[in-house]
Amino acid sequence: MKASLGVFALALGASSSLLGIAVLARGLRRRDAHALVLGRRFAFGVLIAAILAAAVMEWALLSHDFSIRYVAENNARGTPLLFTVTGLWAALEGSILLWLLVLGGYLAFVAHKFRARASDPLVAWATLIGLVVALFFFALVLGPANPFKTLPVTPADGRGPNPLLQNHPLMAFHPPMLYLGYVGFTVPFMFGMAALATGRFGEGWLADTRRATLVAWVFLSAGIVLGAWWSYEVLGWGGYWAWDPVENASLLPWLTATAFIHSVIVQERRGMLRVWNLSLVIATFCLTILGTFLTRSGVINSVHSFTESDIGPWLLAFLGVVAAAGIGLIAWRGDALRAAGKIDSPISRESAFLANNLLFAGLAFVVLLGTVYPLLAEALQSRRLSVGEPYFDRMTTPIGLALLFLMAVAPALPWRTTSGDVLRRRLLVPAWAGGLTMLLAAALGARGITDVIAFGLAAFALAGIVRQFAVGIRARRDVQGERTLDALPRMIRANPRLYGGLVVHTGIVLIAVALAASSSYATKREVRLARGESAVVAGYRVTYLGRAVSATEQKRVVKARVRIEHGGSDLGVYAPSVNIFPGSPNAIGTPSVRTGLREDVYLTLVSAPSGDAAGRVTIGVAVNPMVVWLWIGGGVVVLGTALALVPGPRRRRVVAELPVEAREREPVLA
Amino acid sequence: MSKAPWVLLAVVVAVALVWAAWPEGGRSARERARDLAAELRCPDCEGLSVADSSTSSAHAIRADLLRRFRDGESDDDIRQEYVDRFGESILLNPEGGGLGVLVWGLPVLVLVVGAGGLALALRRWRREPAMRATRADEELVARARAERVDAP
Amino acid sequence: MRHPTRWIALGVAVVVVVVGVVLATQVGDDPRAETQRSQLVGHAAPSFSVKPLEGGTLTRADLAGRTVIVNFWNTWCAPCRAELPDLKRFWARHRDDPSVAFVGIVRDDGESAVREYVAAEAIDWTIARDPAARAALDFGTRGQPETFAISPEGVIAGAQIGPSSVRDLEVMLDAARGEPR
Repeated sequence: MKASLGVFALALGASSSLLGIAVLARGLRRRDAHALVLGRRFAFGVLIAAILAAAVMEWALLSHDFSIRYVAENNARGTPLLFTVTGLWAALEGSILLWLLVLGGYLAFVAHKFRARASDPLVAWATLIGLVVALFFFALVLGPANPFKTLPVTPADGRGPNPLLQNHPLMAFHPPMLYLGYVGFTVPFMFGMAALATGRFGEGWLADTRRATLVAWVFLSAGIVLGAWWSYEVLGWGGYWAWDPVENASLLPWLTATAFIHSVIVQERRGMLRVWNLSLVIATFCLTILGTFLTRSGVINSVHSFTESDIGPWLLAFLGVVAAAGIGLIAWRGDALRAAGKIDSPISRESAFLANNLLFAGLAFVVLLGTVYPLLAEALQSRRLSVGEPYFDRMTTPIGLALLFLMAVAPALPWRTTSGDVLRRRLLVPAWAGGLTMLLAAALGARGITDVIAFGLAAFALAGIVRQFAVGIRARRDVQGERTLDALPRMIRANPRLYGGLVVHTGIVLIAVALAASSSYATKREVRLARGESAVVAGYRVTYLGRAVSATEQKRVVKARVRIEHGGSDLGVYAPSVNIFPGSPNAIGTPSVRTGLREDVYLTLVSAPSGDAAGRVTIGVAVNPMVVWLWIGGGVVVLGTALALVPGPRRRRVVAELPVEAREREPVLA
Repeated sequence: MSKAPWVLLAVVVAVALVWAAWPEGGRSARERARDLAAELRCPDCEGLSVADSSTSSAHAIRADLLRRFRDGESDDDIRQEYVDRFGESILLNPEGGGLGVLVWGLPVLVLVVGAGGLALALRRWRREPAMRATRADEELVARARAERVDAP
Repeated sequence: MRHPTRWIALGVAVVVVVVGVVLATQVGDDPRAETQRSQLVGHAAPSFSVKPLEGGTLTRADLAGRTVIVNFWNTWCAPCRAELPDLKRFWARHRDDPSVAFVGIVRDDGESAVREYVAAEAIDWTIARDPAARAALDFGTRGQPETFAISPEGVIAGAQIGPSSVRDLEVMLDAARGEPR
């Protein structure tokens, strides 16, 4: 019953998208405003169908309806409630339902937000393209990846989710965040394609989709950071980023979207870079599809490929269609898109944005190439090879440092042109902060040029941000006589995009410092201890207190109790464990982390042989400096983006005065 | 504004860099083993290096690397030994020869060409006027001039 | 170059098509297929030194001149447990042939667990422990079970990664004896 209800919901969604496409296409062809107004309503149909399908799946999961194969494979009677609910995205078929739910949400949001302009061809085209994307995903779940497939015989109990996926509550947040980001890039894609289709390449569609892009971007950023956190807390190898293909797949659209967020400002201010921005929007969307293909079709080995299925060719075909449409439209419209603007000086904010885009595009290229290179080698020369962390580290570090440098310098650059004098005055103090930090880092024993440069540039950028805030506050204090505490929030409200952006930069600087420190100065050792014995690693004394074994039908858990002390003070007892699942080739370790602002103590139980007479265990002890600042930095990025999303007075004024853009927004139907 | 503070800053940065990069004697066998372990893929786990993994193979390989370095073997010899045994995919850094030129060289090429293109465009923009007069503009000007001449 | 955008778009399109074709050829290929072949087949077998449960040391030199089947396994490994009946049937056929030796090397397991399991399953071929996993490393094993057949001349004639059937074992044995099947 649930299965048929689910399939019905999917069919409803597919027909809703199909009808919407037909009505909108007809309306666009015949210039029929009524059809366009009617057509947008199908976006709500998509949302309702997606909600229904996801609700049916949740219902099936919660009621442990093992007649549905997906439930039998990803749920068991003993699965805790939280992981029963998260079962919706524990495997491929369900996660497409989540994808559809998020896409339906974005489509309905667009349809609602632009309800007054429903007869505008730009909006109609955008809705139509969104419905095409929705139709594709409905077709996926109706065809090769049907989550509502039933089993001929209902098993008494299900298999339960992959052990790795039911180890940590972060599992409840990381995938939805990632999907909110990934799918969100459909909105700028819809409008970008619509701009190309209608030939209205002005800045109108950019202003319309700016916030949606930023929302998608912040969700994706949060999703990536949460994923790294999950990896750190669950996988137990002591790191948070392994340049695994799935991680790269989430990073690729983030890189191009970040480039877009920056270059869009140039187009808004100067009307330039139209082709480039459209290309970035289309590339971002293509990369989300490519990422889904790479991780879900089983072409690449990955720790994260929890499920594989035969949707590969479908995704590849869709990617081909999207790329062909995007590239074709740009080629067709390209020369009409070229703007008359120009950049006056290489030392200006505009050219800094150009350099930023070059670096982000280069970064995306490196990550993409490294990820698909094993496939290329296999296809061209039948060689099996790997591309891993050392390659990515070596290639991305210089680009990352260059970006850090730009981040320090660019916010101080004025638009159009500047004299070297102004720049020197603005940068002198921040640059000295950076130089002295480098000296300090070297004096404190930092070894390796890249680390010292990273710390110096981080301090440079941070000091520049502080300076910018200080200058702003001082100006308000002096001119308007405000007190410092009042000036700060008013200043942010007056220009939320600038100051929100600077807060985001602060978060990125924190992350960069944490990356450099934790990757270069971690101490990692394995100690073999009998009960009561202790060892000292990087100043921390770890004492093995004993073990506790618990066994259920689903797994056997061996926990080692370990006391951590530092400088004579007791930091508490931690319990790294190993989980042994019957039928799983390797035991899965769960680390136990003592988080600190300066450094983490990361404990893993490497082995606890039951037959050892002395009861000795091997415990992995890693002391990872500054890792917590990755998560804090991620939080600061989210905070900054939230600030930037607050509607500022500047935006309201633009709406009130209705300048050039208003002319562009007038329907060209009549 | 005087340039002296900037010159001094350059000196500070140079000192810091030299300090940080100053070699502290040769690397020990243990350090070399650790560095090479980070370049080898752990054979019985996915996506992790030997240095990061704690499986039995990773343990064995780390011990083996240490022993080999103490016996005076070179990095390249050991790499080759492992490729012979486990295949090329044991290396996390793809080899640079042949097709490897693609993966190591192409990103550099892309960035260099991109930067060059950008520099060229900036130079052209600096020389060119912001907008060229179209034919319509020129006609307009010509007509205005003509009218002026015609005017009494 | 009147339409530079078009040319660039064309270039991008070509690259996308090439990459797309490459990706398309890989769909359906198992990325783990590499694990189906061992690099060592045709090369001299590594000289191992392992500790049999009954005590002492067993090296390859001790087995020189015999055809040797080496099986890497662990008690906790489900596929190893799955292949055990086949190993038993295979060994029942060849137990009495003095030219064949069968060594099960424990890759990564506690000694008491192994003893218990060997007794419970009545395994009657040599089971040996591998201190510091040296043998497992020298054979280039990636996991367990993995099975190798060594010819009397000391060359690895066959290798099976993953569980072996009786037939797999017989094929490897014949290859190691130099008898085409």
